[in-house]
Amino acid sequence: MKWFIFFGVIFIIIITGCTKNTEFSEDCVEGVTCNVLDVNQSFSVDRSSDVEKIEVIHFHGTNQCFSCRTVGAFAEKTVNTYYTGLLDSGKMTFASINTELPENKDLAIKYGVSGSSLWIGTYINGEFHKEENVNVWYKVNDEDDYLLYLKGVLDKRLAGDLS
Amino acid sequence: MGLMAFMEIMGTSNIAIVAAFFIGLMTALSPCPLATNITAIAYTSKRIHNSKHTLIVGFLYTFGRMFSYTLIASLIVWFGLSTQTISFFLQKYGERLLGPLLLIIGMFMLGFIKLSFFKGSSGLNKLKEKLAKRGYLGSFLLGVVFALAFCPFSAVLFFGMLIPLALRAGDALIVPSVFAFATGLPVIIFSFILVYGVSKLSSILNKVQLFDKWMRRIVGVIFILIGIYYISLLF
Repeated sequence: MKWFIFFGVIFIIIITGCTKNTEFSEDCVEGVTCNVLDVNQSFSVDRSSDVEKIEVIHFHGTNQCFSCRTVGAFAEKTVNTYYTGLLDSGKMTFASINTELPENKDLAIKYGVSGSSLWIGTYINGEFHKEENVNVWYKVNDEDDYLLYLKGVLDKRLAGDLS
Repeated sequence: MGLMAFMEIMGTSNIAIVAAFFIGLMTALSPCPLATNITAIAYTSKRIHNSKHTLIVGFLYTFGRMFSYTLIASLIVWFGLSTQTISFFLQKYGERLLGPLLLIIGMFMLGFIKLSFFKGSSGLNKLKEKLAKRGYLGSFLLGVVFALAFCPFSAVLFFGMLIPLALRAGDALIVPSVFAFATGLPVIIFSFILVYGVSKLSSILNKVQLFDKWMRRIVGVIFILIGIYYISLLF
């Protein structure tokens, strides 16, 4: 019982040491040369005409988990369902990239990939902005929700809204 | 509101420790950590008649996980190591080493392999022997090793969600610790259930010795089965 009280007190001390969620620019840590926009950053100016290209990339390893495969499959379906015209014109691309293959190393470094993940790269006004979307992982059990959510994000990026 | 929608709201909370806790819960229930937690639950129940022992072992396992996660987060947040390098290294080697390791531990528990590492006479060796016999050192090390075994999905949750959270908060101690506590929570909860349930049952039946003997064998078999599961993931 004494041990239990001891561990309980330690845990309370830990959780009461509340931490503040401050703004952080990822490229400062990763040493990646391109600009990184935090997904929480507010940036709602309409710059649709400035958007040159959008890359939707599903990065994965050779051995993929069920959720990892689903994230990629649903992303591909979203792009193929809603953006066929943009795919044909080359304004939007989708790629499934195995990070374990040597030929994909440079792309994985460019995006700063740390494992299976979905990334959106936006080329706007001569600049490149990348973002990892982690919300899609919560939607792998609901295809409709996933497709609508990702469509919403891509529509915003196409409109030049990087928020 | 569905469970995943709730987890998403909590996991993306602006309060870092709330988000860390729920990302940790997601991790605890994802396939690989779930398998390691089942192994740990089996380990904590090795000496089920001793409730104090079971609880301490459950908590030490969680502290072991806390140690590993905090160490990785510190290397990234405070020492500036690349998330990508650490993540790929652990995903490549952690998973490969875990299966054979569990297999060997399971065989050791079942008595197929005998070790004589702790037969020294020095004070340190005696302490090691004492800790090893009680399973305290083992449970802590189990937590350390299990936390380092990243599968693709647990890597997403740790490196894709928790590490950016720790970086934003500029904290490599509290955020990963809360996350680790949540990943070990099922083990702690099951330790409680085992202590207040199974131990009473064994006492009522007055067959404590028999329960302990079979528990050790079952634990060994669980280690071997989970080890085989991990090895199968490689092919």
